[in-house]
Amino acid sequence: MFPQFGATADTLSKASTMVFRIGTDAHLYDDPDDVSIAPLLDSKFDSEKCEALKRLLALIAQGIDVSNYFPQVVKNVASQSLEVKKLVYLYLLHYAEKRPNEALLSINYFQKDLGDPNPLVRAWALRTMAGIRLHVIAPLVLVAVGKCARDPSVYVRKCAANALPKLHDLRQEEHALAIEEIVGKLLNDHSPAVVGAAAAAFASVCPYNLSLIRRNYRKLCEILPDVEEWGQIALIGILLRYVIASHGLVKESIMFSLQCTESSHSVKDGSDADFGQVKESTDMGGTCDYEFVNMVSRCYIEGPDEYLSRSSYANRESFQLTDEQFTSGKSNDDVKILLYSTSPLLWSNNSAVVLAAAGVHWVMAPKEDVKRIIKPLLFLLRSSNASKYVVLCNIQVFAKAMPSLFAPYYEDFFICSSESYQVKALKLEILSSIATDSSISSIFKEFQDYIRDPDRRFAADTIAAIGLCAQRLPKMAHICVDGLLALTREEFVTKDFGFGDQEAGILTHAILSIKSIIKQDPPSHEKVIIQLVRSLDSIKVPAARAMIIWMVGEYSTLGEIIPRMLNTVLKYLAWCFTSEALETKLQILNTVCKVLVGATEDVWTFKKIFSYLVELAECDLNYDVRDRVRFLKKLQSSNLVSIGQEEGTNDLPEKDLLHVVAECILGRQTRKVKAESFSYRFYLPGSLSQIVLHAAPGYEPLPKPCSLLLDDRNVPEGTSEIKKTVADYSGTDDYGTSSEGSDDESASDYDSQHSVAESSGSGRGDDSEFTSEGNDNADPLIQISDFGNASENQNGVSQSGPANLGELMSDRALESWLDEQSGSSNPGISEQSQVRISSARISLGDVGKRVKPKCYSLLDPATSGNGLKVDYSFSSEISSMSHLLVCIEVFFKNCSSETISEITLVDEDSNRALDAADKAADVNQSSLASSDNVPTLVPMESIASLEPDQTARRILHVRFHHHLLPLKLALYCDGKKLPVKLRPDIGYFVKPLPMDVEVFIDRESRLPGMFEYTRSCAFTDHIEELNKENGDSLFVKDKFLAICESLALKILSNANLCLVSIDMPVAANLDDASGLRLRFSSEILSSSIPCLITITVEGKCSDPLNLSIKVNCEETVFGLNLLNRIANFLVERTLG
Amino acid sequence: MLQCIFLLSDSGEVMLEKQLTGHRVDRSICDWFWDHVISQGDSLKSQPVIASPTHYLFQVVREGITFLACTQVEMPPLMGIEFLCRVSDVLSDYLGGLNEDVIKDNFVIVYELLDEMIDNGFPLTTEPNILREMIAPPNIVSKVLSVVTGNSSNVSDTLPGATGSCIPWRAADPKYANNEVYVDLVEEMDAVINRDGVLVKCEVYGEVRVNSHLSGLPDLTLSFANPSILDDVRFHPCVRFRPWESHQILSFVPPDGEFKLMSYRVKKLKSTPIYVKPQLSSDAGKCRVNVLVGIRNDHGKTIDSITLQFQLPPCILSADLTSNTGTVNILGNKTCSWSIGRIPKDKTPSLSGTLVLESELERLHVFPTFRVGFKIMGVALSGLQIDKLDLKTAPSRLYKGFRALTRAGEFEVRS
Repeated sequence: MFPQFGATADTLSKASTMVFRIGTDAHLYDDPDDVSIAPLLDSKFDSEKCEALKRLLALIAQGIDVSNYFPQVVKNVASQSLEVKKLVYLYLLHYAEKRPNEALLSINYFQKDLGDPNPLVRAWALRTMAGIRLHVIAPLVLVAVGKCARDPSVYVRKCAANALPKLHDLRQEEHALAIEEIVGKLLNDHSPAVVGAAAAAFASVCPYNLSLIRRNYRKLCEILPDVEEWGQIALIGILLRYVIASHGLVKESIMFSLQCTESSHSVKDGSDADFGQVKESTDMGGTCDYEFVNMVSRCYIEGPDEYLSRSSYANRESFQLTDEQFTSGKSNDDVKILLYSTSPLLWSNNSAVVLAAAGVHWVMAPKEDVKRIIKPLLFLLRSSNASKYVVLCNIQVFAKAMPSLFAPYYEDFFICSSESYQVKALKLEILSSIATDSSISSIFKEFQDYIRDPDRRFAADTIAAIGLCAQRLPKMAHICVDGLLALTREEFVTKDFGFGDQEAGILTHAILSIKSIIKQDPPSHEKVIIQLVRSLDSIKVPAARAMIIWMVGEYSTLGEIIPRMLNTVLKYLAWCFTSEALETKLQILNTVCKVLVGATEDVWTFKKIFSYLVELAECDLNYDVRDRVRFLKKLQSSNLVSIGQEEGTNDLPEKDLLHVVAECILGRQTRKVKAESFSYRFYLPGSLSQIVLHAAPGYEPLPKPCSLLLDDRNVPEGTSEIKKTVADYSGTDDYGTSSEGSDDESASDYDSQHSVAESSGSGRGDDSEFTSEGNDNADPLIQISDFGNASENQNGVSQSGPANLGELMSDRALESWLDEQSGSSNPGISEQSQVRISSARISLGDVGKRVKPKCYSLLDPATSGNGLKVDYSFSSEISSMSHLLVCIEVFFKNCSSETISEITLVDEDSNRALDAADKAADVNQSSLASSDNVPTLVPMESIASLEPDQTARRILHVRFHHHLLPLKLALYCDGKKLPVKLRPDIGYFVKPLPMDVEVFIDRESRLPGMFEYTRSCAFTDHIEELNKENGDSLFVKDKFLAICESLALKILSNANLCLVSIDMPVAANLDDASGLRLRFSSEILSSSIPCLITITVEGKCSDPLNLSIKVNCEETVFGLNLLNRIANFLVERTLG
Repeated sequence: MLQCIFLLSDSGEVMLEKQLTGHRVDRSICDWFWDHVISQGDSLKSQPVIASPTHYLFQVVREGITFLACTQVEMPPLMGIEFLCRVSDVLSDYLGGLNEDVIKDNFVIVYELLDEMIDNGFPLTTEPNILREMIAPPNIVSKVLSVVTGNSSNVSDTLPGATGSCIPWRAADPKYANNEVYVDLVEEMDAVINRDGVLVKCEVYGEVRVNSHLSGLPDLTLSFANPSILDDVRFHPCVRFRPWESHQILSFVPPDGEFKLMSYRVKKLKSTPIYVKPQLSSDAGKCRVNVLVGIRNDHGKTIDSITLQFQLPPCILSADLTSNTGTVNILGNKTCSWSIGRIPKDKTPSLSGTLVLESELERLHVFPTFRVGFKIMGVALSGLQIDKLDLKTAPSRLYKGFRALTRAGEFEVRS
């Protein structure tokens, strides 16, 4: 009858010893491993298995790793006892990820259980199977979930919905679609319980797939009140996002208020902006802080990080909500139904549901209906202490944005002594932001009680809150100040013994509050300042004293009485200077200086006091004081002299610089500082981010209004957008888009001038010669050399390198290298170079020939040119006339059908230009004095006439006065004057400066630090090149060569440089281009200062490369501009 | 999504850890938590949402047990907190209170409950009635049975029918010989009396608790005589919103057993049942205390278990307090509690004595707040009255009962 009786005798005896804990699992928790667990697991009795599993569970609970029992536990999955099953599942879920191989053993049993008639067994099996997180079984789980999603039992379907995020969490892309499909199906389920779980799955699996919601939005809204509370939270969030994405914000809501009031706001700004920006909104009868609301709503939509970073770039206007992004809450049914279905949830028993529903109303509800959320929110404050804090954090934002909403309920924010400090502080803040003229008196009564609270930190906060109230309600300022003054006079705060920091903190806060109230309107608080000054003797707290002394300096010229007191006060301060604390001393010095600057009478006395203080302070123990006094003495020296000479008439026009500085620094800062700096971050109501005040991982701001509609409009929309971005891109580039109009002539021109250093004997640009050497594929030659012995290498004394060098060479290159190596005979050098060789050197033969300078359009035939098309490109030619001139090739083409005559290009101010041109001819090129006379544009030979389709080419010698600003020219044709702009390209303000690598490195080393600038950018051109190579399989070019070539080509086509060397990494693998280095040299045309450019490559051959560009140049500004230009054109894709 | 739940004892021991998702949370997070509680004092202990370097923590403290939940991603914090509150409610309901021993003794049940309540970090079944059917609460009968038979299974073999129904709070088809339903009004009075003796705030937080043992699928309606006095309300999910919206009638299918039907708030009450008049006068390093307690207006009901608690300010060195009724205790943390019980007919209870201040201090400048406790049976101080309770398709015999009770909530008297 009791088959297991014998086995449990042991347990029984143990249990009987513990009479009080009879029948509980206490003994299992206390001594989980006092019996051997393994045999129990293998027992054939369920009760023994149970005991063993409970012991394991106890060990898990205590944080002991018992994963070594895994194989034995897994076997028990097959048990028929539900309790054993449950315990095994608990164990499995805890360890499955650790022991994936053994966990696989259990899969068969899960599969079997999934077919069990008991829904509980099916659900558990599914939950566990999905929970063990094995990538291998993901397809199986997916099938199981799909099957369970059609299960007749609601509970199983619910578990299927819960399993979806687990599957999604494995991040297997191939299942994403299938998962979303199941989510969609479950969202359509008729049981509210399943819909709730499906909503939660939706939120974590595919929160952007709002089209799933569109299908059954109405149904979801209707089912919302019946969904389980936890599912409601998720579903509310999803519905809100959907409505905003598809219909936009609501016109009548708070979020819209800024749109209509912005203009009135700016007008009013001057008058009362300083008092918290509270404005009466006449239509709704409530007050609303528009600037604040605007910021809140933008933060909701954009996410505060994005918003704040953008606003710091001072282009706030770039994100504007247009009218189409708003909808009317009165006529839009989707909005109405959402509000209708969420409003009863404000009565929910679950505070998270209430807050989520309140969030929807806050964002979407018409302004007059928002008040519906107030009472439920306040009622939440009566739930647990923990949720009270969270709710208050949210109310705080609401109350700041719309104080009028909460103003009548100020009593709810009165503070109980049992509350935690955080809650108290929040309540104080809310109270001070919702106080109105009618409620302020009772709020103040409360505050007076709080000041007497034993929690002194709270009392100090209360004082700060009083200050805030007074600033918000200027009418109350006098009462507040009186109260605060009375407080400062109280015995317990002025005494500096006893309670140390806390009482000092209260006094400091009191003075601080007074100070900020006075700041609002100094003249009316003159008496307060006087009283404070009088109390100086009794106030001992240094921070408080320092503040009062600051006020003396700040308001020294205010009113009638204060100036007359100054004499005495300063004498008193000087007298007690030595006994003061550091901050007070510093403040005394400042104040005396300030008084001295502003003084009109008694200057002599002040001067004496100041010099007395200077003497004292110069010998002070603290170096801060000594520093400060030295600084002030210097500042005042001029002032003292001028005063000494002309008795107080220090506003003479010939004030010297020091005096002006002194006035600026010490003079009264009458500039009003904005009452509140809006540096807050706002996150959606009810979010975790709003509590911790940073974007938690996974936080998503609301979708952009109407974004769903935009997405759904089909392809043409998308392509136009792309076009637009392309246009934008080229628009931001000062140099315009490249055109294919460069012709051979210019290329060869370039070639003849350009020389690449270290040419390896092959005639550059001479293809036939190159190929005749036996290289049938016209590959450039690769040379490998030791870095340090490059010259030797050139002489044919080759160096040996590590044998694995060969790995990265193309075959032919390797051969040549091997040949060279055979000649090596010096083991000593080879050993040495084994260590030192880290790169090989490559020469590119024919790159110069392929250089195509970019062509820019000067005059467009269609728009303004009357059929004349003028393009120009920078030429690598060096002007023979002056080193200040840059050569530009200009191409004229007649695109019209008529002959155009008399084409000439002159400087805007042509007269002067012509004058100067005469001189320019005989100007000595190098003379500095004459350089000013170099004309902006050497007059070009005018084109007498240009037939249709005829082209003409001219070389212009142009002097750019600035390397970035365009030059305005005038183009005359047919007697008409057309203004054109010539954009400079800094890449052609230099000329190639051929040099050796050694010389390069030597010069580079002499231009360190501030003459060296680096920037990095990405480079992608080579990818295309590489792909092209792969395409035609006739021969495979070395990847490195392809990269070098495309890089060099790109640079030489955009700047007039000389390629010095290309270093190739050696110790890298074939696909890694890291370490590839190109060196270019040049000198600045105008000043002949050398400019060295080094480009280092980082990254994989087939991926976008990361380039680091370094420019070494003595002329800092030029160097930086050149660097930016190089980085810009490297990033730019070569078009065409 | 919650990733892990820890149950911590008062001494900082991790009693239980339950990993909820594949992203395991190491229990070293608890060490971090305690280190910070120790270094930052109570301010962290009372902070419900904490951002640790690796995780966000939600904490709820009940009877010395800290429920700590961890997450790494955005989720509604109230959801985490509310869930932890539910867990603690369910546990204390199952185990008959919460303390370190009772959790350790029943750790298997706690594990099983947690496993049912939350799946993959999202709450699964939190309805107490379903949980009760799935996992049997430990009771004396099952305990004894388990010792005798060695079979201690408390896991139900079948899925509770309610999980599938659209009224998940109600078990499928209970059968009772006696159909009975009891409605209790349990009210708590919050009041603040300021230093001038003025009643600043006085409101009642009330709950309608229903204990129903009805067969079948009963449909109840409950109406109040004066629903207009209710300021705010919150409902159990079983309450239908629309009838309340239109007629302020509670229409619901009740869960089986005891549950909280609704909670409400009545604001702006005019008076409190008792008065407390503290007087503190300090001079020359001494402070005289005199506190009087009395009944303000007679409700005809006796006021029970009156207590008075206050925290002596930190600047007080010693205290000598006596009372004419009840007992006065001063605890180690300078908490003074005076339990009066019932107010005698013949005299007014008073507490008097002297406090000795710190040596340099002449007069007292911070004043304690007195927290008052009392209990009144048989009356709802808010004045809320139940009009009638109806059952559609009434069974032959139905017993209905109504009770009321008022306790002191946050009842504070400042001095």
